[in-house]
Amino acid sequence: MADLGRAALVVSLGLLVYALVGGSVAAVTNRRRLAISARNALFCAFGSTAIASTVLAVALIRHDFSFTYVAAHTNRTLSTPYALSAFWGGQEGSLLLWLLVLTGYGALAVALNRTLLRDLTVWVVPVLAGIGTFFAFVLVAVASPFDTQTAPLDGAGLTPSLQNPYMVAHPPMLYLGYVGLAIPFAFAAGAMLSGRTDERWIVATRRWTLAAWMFLGFGQLLGAHWAYVEVGWGGYYAWDPVENAALMPWLAATAFLHSVMVQERKGMLKVWNMVLVALAFELSIFGTFLTRSGVVNSIHSFAKSPIGSWFLAFVVISSLFSLGLIMWRLPLLKARTKLESALSREAAFLYNNLLLVALCLTILWGVLFPIITQLVKGETRTIGRPYYDFFLRTFGLPLLLLMGIGPLIAWRKTSFRALAKTLAWPGAVTVACGIALIAFGAGSSHPGLIAYTFSAFVLSTIVLEVVRGTRATGSLTALISRNRRRYGGYVVHAAIVLLAIGIAGSSAYGSSTERRLTPGQSVSIAGYTLTLRDIVQRQVPNATETRALLDVKGGWSGTISSGDNQYINPPEPSREVGLKTNWLRAEDLYVIADSVNPKTKVVYVKVLVKPLVNLIWVAGFVFVLGSLIALWPDAREQRRLVTRLAPARAT
Amino acid sequence: MTILAIVLGVAVAAGAVLLVAWPFLREPVAADDRLDAPTAREARWLELLDERDRALGALKELEFDHRTGKIGDEDYGSQIGPLRRSAAVALRAIDRYRDEMTALDVPDLPSEPVPPPDEGTPPTPAPVPEPYPPPDEADIPAPAPQE
Repeated sequence: MADLGRAALVVSLGLLVYALVGGSVAAVTNRRRLAISARNALFCAFGSTAIASTVLAVALIRHDFSFTYVAAHTNRTLSTPYALSAFWGGQEGSLLLWLLVLTGYGALAVALNRTLLRDLTVWVVPVLAGIGTFFAFVLVAVASPFDTQTAPLDGAGLTPSLQNPYMVAHPPMLYLGYVGLAIPFAFAAGAMLSGRTDERWIVATRRWTLAAWMFLGFGQLLGAHWAYVEVGWGGYYAWDPVENAALMPWLAATAFLHSVMVQERKGMLKVWNMVLVALAFELSIFGTFLTRSGVVNSIHSFAKSPIGSWFLAFVVISSLFSLGLIMWRLPLLKARTKLESALSREAAFLYNNLLLVALCLTILWGVLFPIITQLVKGETRTIGRPYYDFFLRTFGLPLLLLMGIGPLIAWRKTSFRALAKTLAWPGAVTVACGIALIAFGAGSSHPGLIAYTFSAFVLSTIVLEVVRGTRATGSLTALISRNRRRYGGYVVHAAIVLLAIGIAGSSAYGSSTERRLTPGQSVSIAGYTLTLRDIVQRQVPNATETRALLDVKGGWSGTISSGDNQYINPPEPSREVGLKTNWLRAEDLYVIADSVNPKTKVVYVKVLVKPLVNLIWVAGFVFVLGSLIALWPDAREQRRLVTRLAPARAT
Repeated sequence: MTILAIVLGVAVAAGAVLLVAWPFLREPVAADDRLDAPTAREARWLELLDERDRALGALKELEFDHRTGKIGDEDYGSQIGPLRRSAAVALRAIDRYRDEMTALDVPDLPSEPVPPPDEGTPPTPAPVPEPYPPPDEADIPAPAPQE
């Protein structure tokens, strides 16, 4: 069946090249049938890519080791979900998933907008096909998942750390996010190519952008949780270049989601929005380059491979294309109005954008600096946690504050007196909260104290907004249903606050200790006492498990086990941390056992107490809830758009 | 298995070719093969509707901000006039454009849709209050050039 997969990919490539060339010719020469034909080619490319993906999925499930890819990433002991997750566990499979999502998203976005935005979609088709052509070419010519071999008896297996439920969901979520950013990019490019640079492309792609942003954000949180429970170093985010590669486009997309509101209402920031949408897309491709080129050392990156240079070339070409388009269409992107006041909602959005982009660019510099140093000086340099933490505090804390102030400022302009009046209640709550926090000892960390008080401020402004809005409209449901985007946005803000509290709590107020233990010896930390009871070892299918058993007393009583697994196939170790959650305090007791020796009964343990860390995971669900509220289809808006162009003949 | 794969591959390719060629097979000779982009008249009409929506949206936003206490009476008083005036300008521009098109015997323009939903009051066009002078002729957007 590998031949079928290979043939389907070749057909996809042919169709995408046709959609790119035919679609471009149709758009330039204004030819209707050719444009429809190119659009159909994009639809068919999705179909043939789906066939190729099905072939690979079936091969993975059936453990068909005649596929080199299947043999390299699975073995017979893997359960079906993990065997299937090997689809995105390797380089070639993840590229195929990328192409599948891209053509699927592209076909759906074009199909849904072919009537309302018929003048734009004519250009969107070749742009999407251009991106798809690149991925299809790489899959056909450079990194095929359909290479075959004489089938070995068993495969090499999936890296143990990837055999985790979070790893089944985390990569597809990220791909749905990364690839989703191609849709607003394609429509923005289509708007510039067609010269229709009004707000229609933003309205048409708003939900696509929101969905991509939601997947990217939630995918990162899933990845953070995976790192926390599986990698076993005690943290959830290491500022690893590949982690940063997902964070950067998310930050750019966050800035874009805010600034488009200014363009929709005021006709301002058109150039800025084009830059942001291009930046988000380019960063998503750049992230893929980082993951696949082998230029950075990361647990997330794939082995060094020749596709890195192809990705770099694609990033350069698509960046030049975006930049050229924006420069060409500058006259069409002039703002219709000017900023009336520095104290207005649109100005607040602008400040928010500047902070988000500044944070994004400083992270980008942190990622690029070691690569550039290596290239220019041949030296290996790393940018460590202090760099990122400094900029996170520098830009993140003002962003948090702005998240509270922004919604309280009126559009166009507001007076200091009105703002002061509006801020009175949230301000009082914040001060009271700050005093209480200091009284309870939270003053030991200034960034933590600031993060907590700012969080209290943001939460109080959200409550104030909802209460006042409900009073004005008479009903909470009416308030939310009439402006889902705004109130969904507030729910997302609440999620960010939970995230900030979780990060501040676990990093600024956490405690840790390390100790060598033998049976009967104890270690105490933050009200917990852990006593080593025994070290045990047992054989399970495909692994030898070694565990240190510790009796816990104090904040929680029971037994916690921590140690490692030594897998047989692939022959790799995996650290297994001990974790106990106190949901009342959203706190974790986290035990890392190193050098666990069942013969000498000696273990080196590191115990961490992480207050409020679980709010980070709760924030993920609140974030998804808010995003879903914001992107839920609005029937009235849809009716309005359809009515506008009702008599228009679809192409 | 290889033969089956070849047959399936050929079937996939043939199906794709058929779908891609379909527009040409359905209409071997098209009476009009031009792309159906919005006409200049339609584009202008959409532009006017956008302006109207933006103006009414700004008014509703101001009303809502005032009712929720984000903006004081004084600021509200100074902003409501110009916003109402621009809304009136946008509404009149739509009426004027429709009249012009009717006079030129242009087929019906798309029906005027409901403005965007928002919080607060139902989307009724705000009247121009007395203290504010009627808009100058220059404020009314010029009609689009005829095709």
